[in-house]
Amino acid sequence: MGYFHEINLKDANDERLMQISKEYGIALNLDEMKKIKDYFLGKKRNPTNVELQSIGQAWSEHCCYKSSKAILKEFVFGIDNGRVISREDAGVVGFDEKHAYALRIESHNHPSAVEPYGGAATGIGGIVRDILCMGCQPVALVDPLFFGNLDIEYKKLPKGVKHPKYLFSGVVSGIRDYGNRIGIPTVSGCVYFDKNYVGNPLVNVGCVGIGKKENITRSAVKKIGDLLVLVGGKTGRDGIHGVTFASEILTEKSEDESRTAVQLGDPIMKEPLIHACLECVEKKLLNGMKDLGGGGLSCVVGEMALAAGFGAEVELDKVPLKEKGLKPWEIWVSESQERMMLAVDEKNLEPVLNIFKGWDVPAVVVGKVIPGKVVRLFYQKAKVFDMDLGFLTEGPVYCRSRAMKKRRKKEKTPNKPNDYNRVILRLLSSANIASKEWVIRQYDHEVKGNTVIKTLQGKIDSVTHADASVIKPLEKSFRGLAISVASAPFFASIDPLKGGKSVIDEVCRNLVSVGARPHSLTDCLNFGNPEKPEVMYDFYETVKGMGEICSYLNLPIPSGNVSFYNETEKGSIPPTPVVLGVGIVDDIRTCVTVDLKKEGNPLYLIGETKNEMGGSAYYRLVKGYSNYVPDVDNKKLKKSMGSLLNAMKKGYVAACHDVSDGSLGVCLSEMCIGGNIGTILDISRINNLRTDIKLFSESNTRWVVEVKKENEKSFVNEMRNIKLSKIGKVKGENLIIRDKKEIINLPVDKIKKEWGQTLWGRMG
Amino acid sequence: MGENGMKNSDIKICILRIEGTNCEDEMYYSFERLGAKPELVHLKQLIKRKNLFDYHCLMIPGGFSTGDYVRAGAIFAALIKSRLVKEIKKFVEEGYPVGGVCNGFQVLVELGLLPGFDRKMNVEAVLTINDSNRFECRPTLLKHENNGNSVFTKKIKKGKILMLPSAHAEGKFLFPKNREKKYLKRLIDNDQIVFRYVNEKGECAGYPWNPNGSFYNIAGICNPEGNVFGMMPHPERVFYRWQHPDWTRTNLKNLDGDGKVVFESVLEYIRKRF
Repeated sequence: MGYFHEINLKDANDERLMQISKEYGIALNLDEMKKIKDYFLGKKRNPTNVELQSIGQAWSEHCCYKSSKAILKEFVFGIDNGRVISREDAGVVGFDEKHAYALRIESHNHPSAVEPYGGAATGIGGIVRDILCMGCQPVALVDPLFFGNLDIEYKKLPKGVKHPKYLFSGVVSGIRDYGNRIGIPTVSGCVYFDKNYVGNPLVNVGCVGIGKKENITRSAVKKIGDLLVLVGGKTGRDGIHGVTFASEILTEKSEDESRTAVQLGDPIMKEPLIHACLECVEKKLLNGMKDLGGGGLSCVVGEMALAAGFGAEVELDKVPLKEKGLKPWEIWVSESQERMMLAVDEKNLEPVLNIFKGWDVPAVVVGKVIPGKVVRLFYQKAKVFDMDLGFLTEGPVYCRSRAMKKRRKKEKTPNKPNDYNRVILRLLSSANIASKEWVIRQYDHEVKGNTVIKTLQGKIDSVTHADASVIKPLEKSFRGLAISVASAPFFASIDPLKGGKSVIDEVCRNLVSVGARPHSLTDCLNFGNPEKPEVMYDFYETVKGMGEICSYLNLPIPSGNVSFYNETEKGSIPPTPVVLGVGIVDDIRTCVTVDLKKEGNPLYLIGETKNEMGGSAYYRLVKGYSNYVPDVDNKKLKKSMGSLLNAMKKGYVAACHDVSDGSLGVCLSEMCIGGNIGTILDISRINNLRTDIKLFSESNTRWVVEVKKENEKSFVNEMRNIKLSKIGKVKGENLIIRDKKEIINLPVDKIKKEWGQTLWGRMG
Repeated sequence: MGENGMKNSDIKICILRIEGTNCEDEMYYSFERLGAKPELVHLKQLIKRKNLFDYHCLMIPGGFSTGDYVRAGAIFAALIKSRLVKEIKKFVEEGYPVGGVCNGFQVLVELGLLPGFDRKMNVEAVLTINDSNRFECRPTLLKHENNGNSVFTKKIKKGKILMLPSAHAEGKFLFPKNREKKYLKRLIDNDQIVFRYVNEKGECAGYPWNPNGSFYNIAGICNPEGNVFGMMPHPERVFYRWQHPDWTRTNLKNLDGDGKVVFESVLEYIRKRF
């Protein structure tokens, strides 16, 4: 066999077609294979292996969103508050008159399940390029992570599955070593542990960047004759079939079969690559730029050309290689890291090449833009590929069938606890709620000096989790970007619609907690196999719930990612919508943090506490069950956010924390820890619900606020249209809570210890 | 030469970088905010096209130069040694200030400029892996212990405690075991100790106040002449008060961060000396 060969589709029957799909590792189904066969019958020839491989990449779930597109279009694509500038590799939204910010989140789940360190590191690498190719400087990274329960016994792990501890440790190290090296602060994230992630951990990576509006770069070529300049790392055999690997379920053989699908990262190529690309942008030398991610060259060339209505010719021999002997199809689909494609006007070529030379970063012309929507590839002068872009890039779109899972189970209300001290300590020390300091301190969260509201807040030796971090991205402006993430797998697995609503409510709450106005979102939707109707139902309902709240708030989602096939032979992950929210702070000097500030200040609860215990940390702990998960009243959400933000702007608020995982009890504990000070509280006036419901319900749209004593009247007046309950004041060294009688009395030191130890104890 | 009317705007700072340097922007702004003229210079440019003596001060910022895959700062130092050693030696001997933060401190130690006991650029110390065996990003409290020798901290009173953030995996300062006592005595006698890690009471305490297990809780030192200075924590990250982790606990009446005075000190030294 030579460099390339023809594949006989013409004479292939259905069985043979599926055999071919398998042999070439492209994971296409029979209908799709038939469509390809028909196309080439029309052309009166057979495809080459390069062409078939290319279609396999372009038509993978990962690249063409064939199962999700129609639903996303129905609920979220249309939301536009008039500030969205671009929806390409990343969303771009106006920041101030002259600047815009870019945001994107995506998954790197399957690579991280097989090779946690490399998978997570290259996840960071990829998301950074998505921001970079918009012409923006990346300014913040976020990492929502989901693993199996850390205490699972080795013998209970399914065959081929790695222990959650190993995965957790490897993923955090990968993010740390890559993120810290490229000098971009990791400012937000979340870590969830649940037995349903044992076989299929989730590693989502998000990035936010800033740039000048006039420099926002398109992921497209501009005109015929534009040169295609490939810059950055060399191309190798790492990362072949990454996207097709991501579009199948994981099996016990994934390790052996798909190790080569995981790319190798090189942060010390990436760091100068960022400098060089941004220098070209600043000097206005580029007509377009796009990163090489899933599908490698095979996706980037076609997409860039087609976006401008043109085609392209590429000489594959020009591509710099890591090793000799790569076949043309391997060069075409390799997902090797640290590469970008630039569209450059011929007259700008020399200055562009000089900039890259200055940074010792390879830059090579590999092709050019041609009229007509076709892509042609040459290898050693022979034409190995000649395809219409229309056919290649317009992959199939499915409206897959949906069926509701039988999920309504019998309500199971737990007995009232006798010892509330014990319950709250158990909640605080549970892995999902416990301090994530073990992770956070390994990430450099303040490199570049712009992180003005940090990931950990409070006194130097007594810190608590932030609801959101704030970046001050411009030297000469006090305007800030607040960044936060939220997810709601426990709600969504009981009621995906309310789960979708809740995740938006939570991310908004988080942003408002620091004094930021929610401005735009980007989402990563992690689900199981979309060919299963019950998975599709969950997906549909979740997106519908998210869309409902976002539409009402006019909160756009200009970018995002869908990750299906997160399942093993043992079953699917819970529906896991993850949202990265960006908020705007007009002046960072008015920001608010979680930690309690001053003895004597009054504490208020904003919002209504309801009997919505489904999916709550408390019910999971005491083995209760409820079908009623927290709902969202979008009018109340909007009104509460508006009033609270006004109160913060006027300087009435000393501390603020949203009420979420573990609810009021946990929320108050975390505020005490950050201030290293106690509280005296009485929750009897909130309403007449059972004490444990009041204390542990996770109802949405709630915050606890420490109000400056001297501003109490003005604060109450500002919040007059919102449900507000005074619950006590900052005082002493203990967390004391009464509900008619004293139910909790714990020294803050004790709370801090229980909350702080869990991950250190398990991870060392 | 004394004060001859030199202004901050006359002072040119060379901020040296190579691939993997990543704290150059905040270093740049720290000087620019005070009116000086910083310039980001790639090592290649300094070797081929530029002259170190066009600048009044050389700064090596933090980061992971060339990935720090061998040992932090080792490759950057080796590159400087092979191509720029004469210039740098002369630059230091003529009294020009040279500063390194984090990875920059590691480079200066690898170069033998710190502690620089005998002016021969012998490597006498090392910054090695933190005791925790992890990257540590945390605020640290530093006590200023210098009696006036260090030109980068002249404006700071002895005994003052500053909050400066640490973010490193290899920051444990060590001497060879058999020379520990002798070298420590020399550091003290020469007034080379600049910053030590302390707790809120100003006492030396263990982890996490000392984030890396550094010998004698050393966070920053200078050479015997006082014009070469290195420290692990990052003054350039706390130029303003709102860059501190706990600024929301106080009012913002004073906008100065704890790191600003380091840059003011070296600029004042340059104004007076040159």
